[in-house]
Order: sequence, then C-alpha cells, then structure tokens
Amino acid sequence: METKVNSACETCEHFNKEGLKKLGIQTDNFDFVVALAGNPNTGKSTVFNALTGLRQHTGNWPGKTVMRAEGGFEYNTNKYKLVDLPGTYSLLSTSEDEAAARDFILFGKPDVTIIVVDANRLERNLNLVLQILEITDKAVLCLNLMDEAKRNKVEIDVRTLSKDLGIPVVPASARFNKGIPELIQTVSEIASGQIVCKPHRIKNVPSNIEKAVRTLTAEIEKEFPNIPNSRWIAFRLLEGDKEIIKALKSGEFV
Amino acid sequence: MKKNNIDHIIELSNELRWQIGDEFHDNLTEGIYADAADIVKDTVKTSDSEKRFRLDAKIDKIVTSKYFGFPIMFLILGTVLWLTIVGANYPSSLLANLFLDTIHPWLRSGAESINMPWWLSGFLIDGVYLAVGWVIAVMLPPMAIFFPMFTLLEDFGYLPRVAFNLDALFNKSGAHGKQALTMSMGFGCNAAGVVATRIIDSPRERLIAIITNNFSLCNGRWPTQILIATIFIGAVVPESFSSIASLLAVIGIAVLGMAFMFGVSWALSKTVLKGEVSTFNLELPPYRPPRFWKTIYTSLIDRTLIVLWRAIVFAAPAGAVIWLISNLHIGDESIAAWLINGMDGFGFLIGLNGVILLAYIVAIPANEIVIPTILMLTVMVTGIGGGAGAGVMFELDSINATGDILKAGGWTLLTAINLMLFSLLHNPCSTTIYTIYKETNSVKWTTVASIMPVILGFIVCFLVAQIWRLF
Amino acid sequence: MNNYNPLVALAIFFLIVGLLYVIFRPVKGWFWLLKKSIKSNEKVIIEDILKQLYHFEDSDNKVDMKTLVQVLDFNHGRIVEAINKMTINDLIYFDSDILKLTENGRDYALRIVRVHRLWERYLADKTGFHKTEWHDRAEMMEHKLSHDDADLLSAKLGNPKFDPHGDPIPTKSGKVAEVTGVELPLLPVGAVGRITHIEDEPDVIYKQILAENIHMGSLIKVIENNSTRIVFRSEGETVKLAPIVAANLTVARIEKEVAIEDNVARLSSLEANETAKIIGISRESRGESRRRLLDLGFVKGATVSIDLVNPLGQPNAYLIKGTSIALRNDQASKILIKKD
Repeated sequence: METKVNSACETCEHFNKEGLKKLGIQTDNFDFVVALAGNPNTGKSTVFNALTGLRQHTGNWPGKTVMRAEGGFEYNTNKYKLVDLPGTYSLLSTSEDEAAARDFILFGKPDVTIIVVDANRLERNLNLVLQILEITDKAVLCLNLMDEAKRNKVEIDVRTLSKDLGIPVVPASARFNKGIPELIQTVSEIASGQIVCKPHRIKNVPSNIEKAVRTLTAEIEKEFPNIPNSRWIAFRLLEGDKEIIKALKSGEFV
Repeated sequence: MKKNNIDHIIELSNELRWQIGDEFHDNLTEGIYADAADIVKDTVKTSDSEKRFRLDAKIDKIVTSKYFGFPIMFLILGTVLWLTIVGANYPSSLLANLFLDTIHPWLRSGAESINMPWWLSGFLIDGVYLAVGWVIAVMLPPMAIFFPMFTLLEDFGYLPRVAFNLDALFNKSGAHGKQALTMSMGFGCNAAGVVATRIIDSPRERLIAIITNNFSLCNGRWPTQILIATIFIGAVVPESFSSIASLLAVIGIAVLGMAFMFGVSWALSKTVLKGEVSTFNLELPPYRPPRFWKTIYTSLIDRTLIVLWRAIVFAAPAGAVIWLISNLHIGDESIAAWLINGMDGFGFLIGLNGVILLAYIVAIPANEIVIPTILMLTVMVTGIGGGAGAGVMFELDSINATGDILKAGGWTLLTAINLMLFSLLHNPCSTTIYTIYKETNSVKWTTVASIMPVILGFIVCFLVAQIWRLF
Repeated sequence: MNNYNPLVALAIFFLIVGLLYVIFRPVKGWFWLLKKSIKSNEKVIIEDILKQLYHFEDSDNKVDMKTLVQVLDFNHGRIVEAINKMTINDLIYFDSDILKLTENGRDYALRIVRVHRLWERYLADKTGFHKTEWHDRAEMMEHKLSHDDADLLSAKLGNPKFDPHGDPIPTKSGKVAEVTGVELPLLPVGAVGRITHIEDEPDVIYKQILAENIHMGSLIKVIENNSTRIVFRSEGETVKLAPIVAANLTVARIEKEVAIEDNVARLSSLEANETAKIIGISRESRGESRRRLLDLGFVKGATVSIDLVNPLGQPNAYLIKGTSIALRNDQASKILIKKD
C-alpha cells in the first residue's frame, strides 16, 4: 500500500477553482459524505463555514454544536455532503456528544473524515485524532490556526506528521480561507481513491491489554472477515459498549 | 434483518474485560497520549514549550484578578444590559408606531372598505395581528441589541472567564459556573438562555440551569417592571427621588430573581436531582479577536430571528384567544368577565386581582402583551372610558394616563408590588416551555420548570399581601 | 371579602405548610412511613431472611431463630409466620435448631444478592449518589427489580463481576467469583498490595473506613503491623487503623516489585509557580468523572502547573498539555502528583 503525502504546495497547483461551488444547506443527491470532527475550540465550525459557505454560529466554547449541522459543496462535478460533528476531546466516554460523533464515524461510514486540530495544541488534539484513525482509514488532518501557531513560534514538520499519522495533512487558517482549497482537493482525492491512507494505530498499549485485544480481534475477524476496524470494535467491546453489540448482532457494519 | 451469531464474541469480551481489570480505560487513554507525545516529539518545535502565550496570560491575570476581576465583570455585563434596555426604547417605539398606530388602523379601514364582517376583522386584525405586531415591536429591538453584544463577548473568549470567576458561588448551590452565563443570557430571553445551557456538559448542572433560567428577568418583563415601578413606586417618594426609587425597585426585583435562582438551584441539587451525575470541567480557551460583522450577522440570524419566530408562532393564537374571550358572551357577560369574576377572590388573596391573573393566563405565549391585555381588560370590566374596544389591546403614551386606568381598576401600591413579584415569579412563556421540552426531552422536567415558579409566585405574593394588610 | 382576616389566612397557610412537612418530610414523613409499611410485606420479609441466611452461611456462621430475630428489623410474629411459610415452600429447613437454606432457597438468595450488588455498582458508576447512600438505596431496590430487569441492568453495566465494595456479583446462573487476597492484618511490613474488598458491615467499622482515604483498587504499602495498630501508605496518605477495622479490608498482595511513590501529593496542594508530574488519579474518582479527567489530559506522566488562581479560591485553572483547564478542589484533590 502506498501512502501519497500531499503537502500544501503540491496540491494547490492541482486545485481547480472553477470546479468549486458552495452549496450551503442543499445537501440532496450528494456523491460523497464527509464528516468533520475535532476538539472544541479548534475552529472546526469555521472550517465548516469556509467549505459550505454557510454561516453557522460558533462560540469560543466547548460543546457548542450539539445538534448536527449539515451543509454541502460541489467540487469537480461531485457533490459532497458535509456533516459537522460535536466537538469532543475523546470518543471513548459515554457523554451524548461523544456518542453522537463516535456513532456517526462508525455507522454513518463517511467517505472522508476531516479532523480539524489546533496547530498550537497538537499533542492534546492527537488524542482524538488517534482514536478516529482506529475507526476509519479515510481521513485527512486539517492543521488549523496556523496563523496563531506562527505568531506563537510553533513550528510543525508537516511531512513527518503526515508520515507518522499515515494520512494527508493540510495546514490551514480557516478564518482567512487559507488552506481550504488544498483541503477540498485532498478530500476529493481521498474520496475518489487517488490517495490511499495507511493510518497510525495506537502502539503504547500495555501488553496484557494488547493480548486481550488481539484475541478478541481475531474472533471478530473470523465472524466478519471484511471489517476494517476490528481493533476499535474490540476496544469498544472491552468497554461494554451496547451500541456496538447491537450493531454486531444486526450486522450493520458489513 | 440478518442476525449474526456473536454470543461467543460477547462472552469472550466479558471474560477478557475481567482479566485485564478495571484499569483498561486508564491504560488505553495513557497509551494514546503516549503515542501523541511520541509523534509531537518528532514533528513540533516550540521556542517556549508548555508556556501559555503571553498576551492571553496578561489579559487573564487582569480579568481574573482578586481586585479587578469582579468590577470588570459587573461593568461589562451591566453595560450590556443597560445598553439593551435603554437602547431598545427608541427602535421599539418606532416599531410600535409603525405596527400599532399606522398599519393597524390602516388594516381596519381596509377591512371596512371591503366589507369584511366585524367578527372576522376583529379576530384577525384586532386579535392575531395586534398580538404579533406587539411582540415584534417589544421583543425585536432588545434582542437585536443584546444577542450580538453577548455573542461578541462569547467569541472573544471572555465569557468562560466569567464562569471561572463565579464558579465558587454556583458550586455552593450545587450548580455549574457556566450557569452564570446562561443566567445572563436569560436576562435577554429565557428561551435563548435554556438553549445556551448546552455549554454545560454535566447532566445535573444542566438541568438545574434549565429549570432556574426563568428566574432571570427577561426582555419581555423588563418594560412591565419599569412601567409599574415608575407609576407606583416612584409616586411614594418625593418627586426628586422618584426615578432613582423606581430604578432601585426594578434592580431589586432582578436581584431577588438571582436570589431565587441560587436558592432553587440549591434545593434542587439537594433533593430531586441528588442522584444525577455531576462532572465539572471548564476549558479556558485562548482569546480570539471576534470578526465583528460576521458575529453580528450570525447572532441575528441564529438567535434573534429564531427566537422571534417562535414567539410570533405562539403570540398569534394568544391574540386570537384574547379577542375571543372578550367578544364571545355567555349570558350577558363576556367570557373574560366570567373568568375575571371567578378568579377575583383568589386574586385578592394573593394581593392581585382577577384581571391580572387572566392576563397572565392568556399571555403565557408572550410576557410582552401582559400590560396591554391588563389595560384592555381593566377598561372593559370597569366600564371607564378609553381603550379601543373589547378585545383590542392597547397601551398609552402617557404614563400618568396608564396609572389612572390602573387605579380605576382598583390598584394599590400592594397590587403594584405583587405584580412586580408575580411578573418575576410565574411560569415561563410558552416559547420557553417548548424550548425546555426540546432540550430536556422530558415531560417531567418541563412540568417542574413550568409549575414550580408559579407556585413560588403564589406563595410569595400571598405572604406579602397578608403581611401588608396586617400593618 | 368582608369576613376576611389576614391573620387567619396566614394561620391557615402555615397550618397547610406544617401539615405538608409532617407528611412529606424526608425519611420520617408519614407518607414515606406509610409507603414503607405497605412495602414491608411478606415478600420483603422472606427475601430479607433468605439474604441474611445466605450471608451467615457464606461466612460459616450458624443461625438459630433467636439470632435471626435480632438482626432483622421486623416484628417477631411476622418473622415466625414467614419462616413457617418458607419451610413449607422448601426454601429453608431446620437442622435441629439451626436454620439452613435449601437448594431452592440458596438460588433465590443469590438472585437477591445479585440485584443488590448490581444496583450498588449502578449507583457507583452511573449516578451522583455519595458512597454512604449506596447500601440503603440498593436495599430498597433489591425487592423491586425482576430477574429480567437485573439482566438488562447487568448488560448495561458491562456485566460487572464485583460490586463497588469488591463483593462478587453472582452471575445469572448463580456462579460467584472468588475475592482474591487476604485480610490486611495478615500482611507483613513492607508488603505491597491492591485493595480488593471493603466489608461494609458492621456499619460502625465501615464508617471508620469511609472516613479515611481508602478506596477500592488503590495500591497500599504496609509500614507498621502490630497488635495495636496497622499503618500503611496509600495514594500519598498515611493511614492508621486498629486491627479490628483493618480486618475488614481485603488486599491482594503484589509479589513483583512495584514502585509505590513516596512523595505523592495532590494537585489541590500545588502552589502557583510550582510544576509537577501527574502520577495518576485516585481510585476515589470513578465512572464518568474519571474518564473526563483522563480525556482532558490528566494522565500519568503529564506535566501540570497552575495557570490561574481563582479570585474566590476555587476552581483554579491548571495548565495541562498546552491548555488551561479549570478544576474544582475536590476534583484536583483526586489527582495524584509528584512535585518537581
């Protein structure tokens, strides 16, 4: 499997400005579903608005978007439906927001997941990123707030980050519309299969847990051979997640 | 639906869960963060790691300082409220002129010229149209001022600092510091305040904030308070002090509302909500300069217009009901008169009267139309001159003339004080009730939030009335 | 309104308030007492007897009629009546004077114990009730929940094996897991172990345990052990217990060398200008609040310092992984740190 890493400058040449049309809330007849995930306070909704041309209100608050917002855009004749998920720190707990985000990425099976992170607080944001990469392998990291990062003298090696995470990384300042064209281009390439990701999987797991997860993963794969995220399902089963059990029973995954 | 045989997988997972013990979640989270640290070591260079950025830290030092923190907070929030109340006066009277004094007569003459039957034009124009026009005129300007200002503060990142400063007070009554903000939002509109409780992520504290939001005196009730205070409270002191006395009375009512908010929060957290899960966390996000015009635009669309629309939807039928009860007769009395007579006894007991109680019942959809309804009903039952006919709400430009009508209706200083109290302590308007239901998804909590304030209102008014009459 | 007198109105009002208070006041209100007496029907008595017998047999004690009447809070006549009925229904039998459970009786008792312990687990993990309230609330619930409800509850909780005190929860088929470990007084000085069970009876002793910083699952290290007292360290605190109290704690010894940190402090004791490393979160923090702390980045090894001191004393804001997070003192006191 080859991972094609696209940095910002590579993609902007490809970007076809005429091909972009913001669709606002018209989201019927779409070709691809794109999920938008991220921590609170990362400017996730600004990215959403920049992509769709909508003006969704966002406060400087965690937990602002409880209701799922949807919007759309058209790029190179393909229509994309964008779903804004609640901003959360994690996907492992039982709060309403987290369950909503978790279930959408897992059961909604988006064609691409955009993960918005604050470039100034990458380490904290990676907690959520690494969890999402256990669920889906079609994701792009939007390294937002690059303008602030520059002001704060935070330097990020985008290439290495992309290699480490195994997904494309697009630096952006959504407030000023910087990086949004590159993001759209990357999303379209992932959706069409031009970019194949090989996402990072969580490594630092204690050996007894790793062993249990392996045993369980093997059992799950025996029953569902084509499941891409058996490891995540094993994690969730070990947590006793009832939704997962229900979905496994009904075969909602495959 | 296909059924998969996964019992053995579930069984295995249960078995494994107990083998690895209850540290699974801890270990997994630690593992993920360890991975994150590894990646960051590879890719991120900071000149001054782990230090928070300097300008932010400086602002924070000031706005959360022991000496300046609270004065700054009161100054900012007070200014917002003052600008809202004072600034809304002019556009409100402009809209009232337009909707009530210009379009309304014009509609009526239009209806006459096409020979519309009186009952139809009365129902539609005097009932539905008038209520809607009233709600827009009174409600739109303050909200259009309040919400953008509040949203600017929110986007800048100041509001989490308010929650931070005040949390200790709210903690004592079992509530969350962020309730300070939903409460402040309630001063603009309770329905918006209830929606804003979404920022509170702990289930118990969120319910408390929802149920007690009604104790914030909302935009629809400020004008009532100010009017009644000016007429009655201002009159008992020498004229040079009258405006300050009425101002203090209104502020007193607002502060009393906060006292009730704390008290009821405390009582709820100690009794019915004792068992709900409570978690606290508050992130203090970095300050970000808000984009001024965009914020104004979105707060107008998202908050003001949505709330206004809901209010209109509820006000229209209320207008119809007001017109109908005043114009439909049973025997030789209108329904309104029957109801007023029926409730007069109870009204007297709690220092109010039947007119006020009826006005509060028909004005559940919007507090804004309480005073016009009271005036219309008072004129109708007392038979004094003035007004615009049965079922046609009205207000007067002259405060003295308004006072004369009310005094003719038997109002005393006690009635005025109790009306002010009851205006604070009664059920939320139907927009808010509907919003509470949508947010809690529970009939039980919606009922509690709706009934509890009205019972409190009865009790407080009753006690005040009895003690007043003793002396 | 001619014959109206405000004094009379007030008097009637306070009479009504007083009446409502007498009827509905918590615990001792007439309404609750009435509800309780209606509920303490035969079923409750029978179930309580079964449970008592189960506990006595479990700890190898023998019970006769007299002891039973002493431990149960019902009147003598009703107990005798219930015992007769139970013998007829083949739930218990007499072995000379000693009361014993039959196979059926044991099954029934296990089911009640299962519901009780599941409910305690539920209260501990999913609600905000304080740990002092778990037992009594579970005591009420155990007679209400049906067999099927219990299974649903168990699935919802992830089929737990132990209740929050460390007592095993019987499975659907009546299997009971073993509690590993020994009574604390049996551990030698220097031994390290994990608390696996805290006995919640008798009440007097349990209250003393609750008063100390002792939590299920936390690591301890024995420092002193003699006939007058047992001293151990746990989560940075030194705890001294009388042997009789310590005997109510079960500890699973950990043989391999586990570093138990000595200079453990709590985040709430951190001063401005100090930095510290997080060692872990106390076992006292459970369920959702524990998860939330972890998700926010309060994980082992993270560096933490005070970002902002609150003008009212709490919550203070802590700088953790680049973000300022405010925590109240009771939360911060559950985060264990080692100051730099």
